[in-house]
Amino acid sequence: MSSQPRARLRKRPPSVRSAARLTARRWSWGFVMATSLCLATYGANWLFAEVSPGSVWGLAYGTAAALLMVAAALYGMRRRALSLASKYRLGSARNWLYLHLYGGALFLLLMLMHSAFRIPSGAVNWWLWLLSGWTVASGLFGLALQQWIPRTLGSGLGLEVVYERVGELVGELRDKAEALAATSVEPVQALYARRVAPELAAPKRRWIYFLDITGGKQGQLKEFDYLRRFLSSEEKEKLGELARLYKAKLDLDAHYTLQTALRGWLWAHVPTSMVVLILLILHLGAVFYF
Amino acid sequence: MARRKKRAGKGTFSNVELPVAKSYLTPSSRNRLLLAGGAVVTVLLAWVAVDSWIGNPQSLSNGPLSSNHANLEDNCAACHTEDNEVSNAACSTCHEKHGDELGVFTFASHYLYRSNDFQRVVPSPDEEPCHACHIEHQGRDAAITQVPDSRCLSCHQFGSFNDDHPQFEFATSNLPDDDALAFTHTRHVNEVMERGGLEDVEQACLSCHHPRPEGKSFQPIAFDRHCDVCHLTTSMRTPPLPVRSAATGPAGVETLEAIQQRGGPATQWAYFLNPNEFRRLGDRVVKGPLYHRDPWVLENLRGLRRALYPEAGLADLLTTSPDVPLNELATLYREAIATLKGQVRGLRARPEPEVQEELARLGALLEELERRLDDPYAPLDEARFLLALGPASSSLSETEVEQIEALVTALTEPCQQCHRVDNATIARVRQDQRTLRRAEFNHRAHIVQRRCLDCHGEIPVSEFLGKSEPAQASLDRAAIHNLPRIESCQECHNPKLASNRCVTCHLFHPDQSRRSQLLLYIGDEPEG
Repeated sequence: MSSQPRARLRKRPPSVRSAARLTARRWSWGFVMATSLCLATYGANWLFAEVSPGSVWGLAYGTAAALLMVAAALYGMRRRALSLASKYRLGSARNWLYLHLYGGALFLLLMLMHSAFRIPSGAVNWWLWLLSGWTVASGLFGLALQQWIPRTLGSGLGLEVVYERVGELVGELRDKAEALAATSVEPVQALYARRVAPELAAPKRRWIYFLDITGGKQGQLKEFDYLRRFLSSEEKEKLGELARLYKAKLDLDAHYTLQTALRGWLWAHVPTSMVVLILLILHLGAVFYF
Repeated sequence: MARRKKRAGKGTFSNVELPVAKSYLTPSSRNRLLLAGGAVVTVLLAWVAVDSWIGNPQSLSNGPLSSNHANLEDNCAACHTEDNEVSNAACSTCHEKHGDELGVFTFASHYLYRSNDFQRVVPSPDEEPCHACHIEHQGRDAAITQVPDSRCLSCHQFGSFNDDHPQFEFATSNLPDDDALAFTHTRHVNEVMERGGLEDVEQACLSCHHPRPEGKSFQPIAFDRHCDVCHLTTSMRTPPLPVRSAATGPAGVETLEAIQQRGGPATQWAYFLNPNEFRRLGDRVVKGPLYHRDPWVLENLRGLRRALYPEAGLADLLTTSPDVPLNELATLYREAIATLKGQVRGLRARPEPEVQEELARLGALLEELERRLDDPYAPLDEARFLLALGPASSSLSETEVEQIEALVTALTEPCQQCHRVDNATIARVRQDQRTLRRAEFNHRAHIVQRRCLDCHGEIPVSEFLGKSEPAQASLDRAAIHNLPRIESCQECHNPKLASNRCVTCHLFHPDQSRRSQLLLYIGDEPEG
């Protein structure tokens, strides 16, 4: 065989996307394997020995859960120390993220195994148990939001904005709309004053955007369509521009609403995870001390 | 017609020409998140610090104490030492308050509790502190006495009750029951049912086996209550027995007159016995009617035994043999004390002051011994008796021994209808009928669900109901353990029905009723 076809058969280097896919697949398989191992171990424990936090098995679950909890928490630190991470080659951000996600989920399972799937007694233990569940649940909720919201915003709206600029851009729209309305005929000015001006006062959050990213935009523009019939062609142009500004405001509101959710879930996750870490330290201290 | 999309001009974006950002936008800081978390953590740590500073850190407690220990909730130091250990000493402060010498809660007492084996009282490396089994801080409603099976299995290498519980010892060892009594259940059940006009066999069982008030076991069978209606009739008499004389030597019985003339302690009964119950036939005598524990028969039997076994010692104070399980030794002591007290009473008629003084001292000593037997908390080391028959007398010739043994057989011939006689001693009938001593079985809890013969079916009582002929001895005799095997228990006690945990049947600590017996062993150094 000549060297030419052999060279053609040589494997091409994987693209960034396929490498990411490979990493994701490895982590998900690893997670499935680790979860299966945990459940099988727990089953064996249940069959052959006492299931309790104080047994050797229970202490092993608890130790593993504590280590995973700390590892998952290190992700947040790693994000804040990017220079250190690159200097000491602490691994890629993607791997840290997967460790945070899968490690956190496995932490919850091991924590439940440690408590023998029972609600523990004692204030610290009870809060640790409850907030661990809350932290992991809020993390999974945030993961779901991060998967869904960017995709929705990218596909259903006519513009993309940074969350921090929404207020400024709404002001921009308001200025443009005011200027436009000032040069328009009385019916258009009346429509502006009644319908558009209140809307352009400030960015608004609406629940409807979680269900329908358009926010019922077409229904709200019917009034513009009705008025258009009675206007001259020049006024029609102005009305059309006003409608575009109004639609842009509704799109900004959609961004404002969904991006608020995208940032807001962290309030349910980060402070509680800090409390969980402290409770874990108190729990370990109490266990070793007493 | 599709409208053409307006294109954004330079420096703008979207169809409404919004301005692009003029500078790099720094995303909003997440410091506020960390600050919020830090604030909550600070509040949490402050709460723990204040709680600890107050004295008893409930915030760090693993949970509320069980209701048994709820009064110690605010007093950590009651159990936790400075090193934060929970020592057995802390438990014994309350639980052995009324008698540390009992050691009821020690492993030593656990070893002895059912085994009665002195050799078992050896410290084991597997011994664990109280709190290892009685786990606290599990909430008010936690039952800390319900020790999980795993705690027991850490020493007892068994599996679960349904898979790997050993068979009952009586079933595996094939040892007979204590058959000191000749007794046939089939004959007696039929007799009881016929006399009482009973239709249900269970009624016949309960006419003799009276449950104890607590329902666990049954009161001892008593001759006076259960047997004498049929077994003591006026026609019952001894065979003609040779009267002791120079010619017979020790192989003869003492007549009532001879006993009266001899006197001595514990022969007062001789003055109250009816002389007409004795019939003299030349150099022989017949006693009839006989009583249960007939004093004349027992006195003569004691005399013959004394001739055969002069070294019997304190065993000579007993009416029947000293062979009892170790846990029933107290019965022997009571019997020996009763005999001694009878002898003291018998000597009260002596006029000498020094004898009366000695008798008063002896009486007081016996009273003290009796009181200590009744007191489960009093040590009884000094109250031990040497209870053994000792070797047969070497001063008797073989012929004399044979003659004495023949006389013993003749004297106890009426007794031997029911009792076994060994070594010139009537074998002791076990009053406590329990065989399965290592477990706590409650008859009351079981009899409402099953009938007597469902479990006690080893002797075929049902098959012989209403039949005139009793079952042959191989099927029906006292030596047969009429008890169920472990499989019978496992039918109901399994994970789907009744509880099958170790503590359902077994106790780690001796129950209260057995404390006085344990007194006899605890505190002894094992020999060797």
